[in-house]
Amino acid sequence: MSEPVLVGNQLLELREQFENPEQQRETASIGMWVFLITEVMMFGGLFTAFTVYRLSNPAAFNEGSKEMTIVLGAINTALLILSSFTMALAVYSSSIGKTKLLAIFLIITMIIGLCFLGIKFTEYYLHYQDHKVPGFWFEYHGPSARQVQMFFVFYFILTGLHVIHMTIGIGILLVMLYRTLLGSFSATYHTAVDLAGIYWSFVDIIWIFLYAIFYIPGLHLK
Amino acid sequence: MTPPPLTRKTLALVFLALWALVLGTTLIGFIDLGQYNIVVSVAFAAIQALLIALFFMQALYEGRIIRIIITGGIVWFLIMETLTLGDYMTRGWLPFPGK
Amino acid sequence: MQLQDQVHIGGSADMTIETIAEPVRKNYLNDKQGILSWLLTTDHKRIGLLYTFSITVLFFIGGFFALMMRLELLSPRNWLVSTETYNKLFTMHGIIMVWFFLIPSIPNTIGNFVIPLMIGAKDLAFPKLNLASWYVFMLGAGVTIYALFRGGVDTGWTFYTPFSTGYSTTYVIAAAMGIFISGFSTIMTSVNFIATIHRMRAPGLTWFRLPIFIWSMYANSVVLVLNTPVLAITLVMVAVERVFQVGIFDPALGGDPVLFQHMFWFYSHPAVYTMVLPGMAVISEIVPVFSRKPIFGYTAVAFSSVGIAVIGFLVWGHHMFVAGESVYSAMAFSLLSYFVAVPSAIKVFNWTATMYKGSVSWDTPMLYAIGFIGLFTIGGMTGLFLAALGLDVHVHDTYFVIAHFHYIMVGGTVMAFLGAFHYWWPKISGKLYPEGLGKLGAMIVFLGFNLTFFPQFVLGYLGMPRRYAAYPEEFQMLHIISTAGATILGVGYILPLCYLIWSWKYGKPAGPNPWRATGLEWQTSSPPPTHNFKKTPVVNVRAYDYEAMKEQLGLREREFENV
Repeated sequence: MSEPVLVGNQLLELREQFENPEQQRETASIGMWVFLITEVMMFGGLFTAFTVYRLSNPAAFNEGSKEMTIVLGAINTALLILSSFTMALAVYSSSIGKTKLLAIFLIITMIIGLCFLGIKFTEYYLHYQDHKVPGFWFEYHGPSARQVQMFFVFYFILTGLHVIHMTIGIGILLVMLYRTLLGSFSATYHTAVDLAGIYWSFVDIIWIFLYAIFYIPGLHLK
Repeated sequence: MTPPPLTRKTLALVFLALWALVLGTTLIGFIDLGQYNIVVSVAFAAIQALLIALFFMQALYEGRIIRIIITGGIVWFLIMETLTLGDYMTRGWLPFPGK
Repeated sequence: MQLQDQVHIGGSADMTIETIAEPVRKNYLNDKQGILSWLLTTDHKRIGLLYTFSITVLFFIGGFFALMMRLELLSPRNWLVSTETYNKLFTMHGIIMVWFFLIPSIPNTIGNFVIPLMIGAKDLAFPKLNLASWYVFMLGAGVTIYALFRGGVDTGWTFYTPFSTGYSTTYVIAAAMGIFISGFSTIMTSVNFIATIHRMRAPGLTWFRLPIFIWSMYANSVVLVLNTPVLAITLVMVAVERVFQVGIFDPALGGDPVLFQHMFWFYSHPAVYTMVLPGMAVISEIVPVFSRKPIFGYTAVAFSSVGIAVIGFLVWGHHMFVAGESVYSAMAFSLLSYFVAVPSAIKVFNWTATMYKGSVSWDTPMLYAIGFIGLFTIGGMTGLFLAALGLDVHVHDTYFVIAHFHYIMVGGTVMAFLGAFHYWWPKISGKLYPEGLGKLGAMIVFLGFNLTFFPQFVLGYLGMPRRYAAYPEEFQMLHIISTAGATILGVGYILPLCYLIWSWKYGKPAGPNPWRATGLEWQTSSPPPTHNFKKTPVVNVRAYDYEAMKEQLGLREREFENV
């Protein structure tokens, strides 16, 4: 499928449909960004629905937001930003050819990602104990229980999708780590790491918006 | 290939700025701003997203096509939001049944 | 034989097409043998054929449902199927035709096949993704067919809430899941096309030297990338509401059904353009070739595709004029819907202007193209009736709407699909189809189509609502005409299928460029070798430049009009 091509003094994998490595890198980059746009639109659909319902029931949605554990949310946000930073450092290390550092940063990023998921599932468990999972076991004693439940519907769909994206992200990082240890990356070829970094940071951006719409608005009611 | 124009120092500064923004948005959240709480928090989130996209995702150093793709995506999301909300915002303007 | 070694479009005039005699040579069809070589191929041409096969099967399944509906409507009373079955028939007809035929029809078959050839690339940017897209498509189709065999769906292809989430007792989730999965396939192909068109063009092939086909397919892919994810997430919400009975769209649970319509039509209105843009792409190729003239107003036609893609996103509210949308919003959407007619009209005028004083030949693809232009114009104009607020209230949800969008979808896209297959068939198979039968088929399709759908304009205007299995007796005559037309249309679809398959084995060898067309895809042998070109072509002329290429194409002087 791919043939080695000499670039500078390094052998490089060039797939057969491309003319040169630069074209291969740019094409992959365009593919990744266009894919991220589909993600923007997918989450965008949910954000639009959320906005419509929030505007019609602002008080109930704030009540729902009050049920969030802000400490866990804030820690998770900070963790995810940290992981984005370590991922950026991993990309940086790969671009200057320090593959050992690349491997270390990939491992750190994955560990932080797993911590995030751990905390997220703890939160889910707390919601479960609180009877805040939508469905017939949902309990809320207040005037607008139905609207509060809708808040939780969006909370679970959006954070659930985010968890799925995080899991895929960790899977991608595992593959990157494996390829790093095989010696696939170098200062001349590191496109896959760059793209993994872009994806990881994107998932981080989604979370930052989730934090802003689910955790913050009810804070002042506490 | 040339090493990226981005330095570790820039990355670290951006990272610290992001943490500061998270802290800021959380603290401001405790103040009652009425319906503007969520507006402020989403604005903070947008700034953070911009920082991450420009530096961590290196959008700042990408060519014209990538910039068009990113802008296009954001604009299309805003089209969906605005035109949908346009309907909901104007529903009550005419005082007849069924609107 | 050696042309591929020095393909230089617009250059060396000493090479005429006649120099390429056709001995048996390695091509993409005989390069590797065996069923596995097809199922595991990453060659865009073979994947295009895999798609062609699946889509043809699905088209006839969807067509079968249409035929059942037409038979049922022969009589004012239920005589063939129950009303419940009728609901399932039109739902499955819609779902299969929209998501498993129209949207992937031209892009994933012809587009897959010719885009890399047209831009002088060896393959698409991501060949494995391309193959994965076919498997995902087949999975989606499989899940939908499963829903069908379990008893079908009765919500209509639009899945309107709260019926789909609360009341329907049919297999809504399975059908929605099939569509959700096929959405991934659409996105994969579109991402692939966008990256390919941006980065894989041959040296010298600038944006304004590209064939219009590429522009339209690019615009089409952009639209699909932006709207398909919204449909996916909307269907997820429908499934969540249906499974857990938590309020999202159901007003009984605190939701808003109009929001579902907003999100659904944010997808589905642009999706309508993604069904017809590829059709326009095909027509923009066929018309210049059979008029022996460059397309009139290249830049305008190219940007009209972009215009359709952009404005197409701003008009979705015209599906909701009577659904409780605010009047101000409705007025804005009505106005914007008029604007979207402008780029479509630019295309129609420029196609006709291309034919004007051209050396027009009446080969089968051209017959389909002319049919497209006429039928699309009728479909587009009646679209303006529906965009008008007051008139829409009258004809909303009637057969007028049915006739309107079938003029676009069937009269437009399916005609273009058939035209495309006739036009590129020599390249795909290396064989010529029987021209006489081809022309006959095109006539039958045109006649059958108009007989089927024109009476439906009248029916709708007289007040016959859509989605009813029974109707007042005074409509019977028009319904009978329509059913008769549908039968003729069915014959018109089966005929090309038969002779195209026949010509695959028994047709005369086509040679590399039977139409004497200018595109890069005609510069390589037919069928093309696995890597398309022996040497990457270099382009230094504009698309459709017959003047610059006349000697290379061996055209006689009188075949030209211009310059």
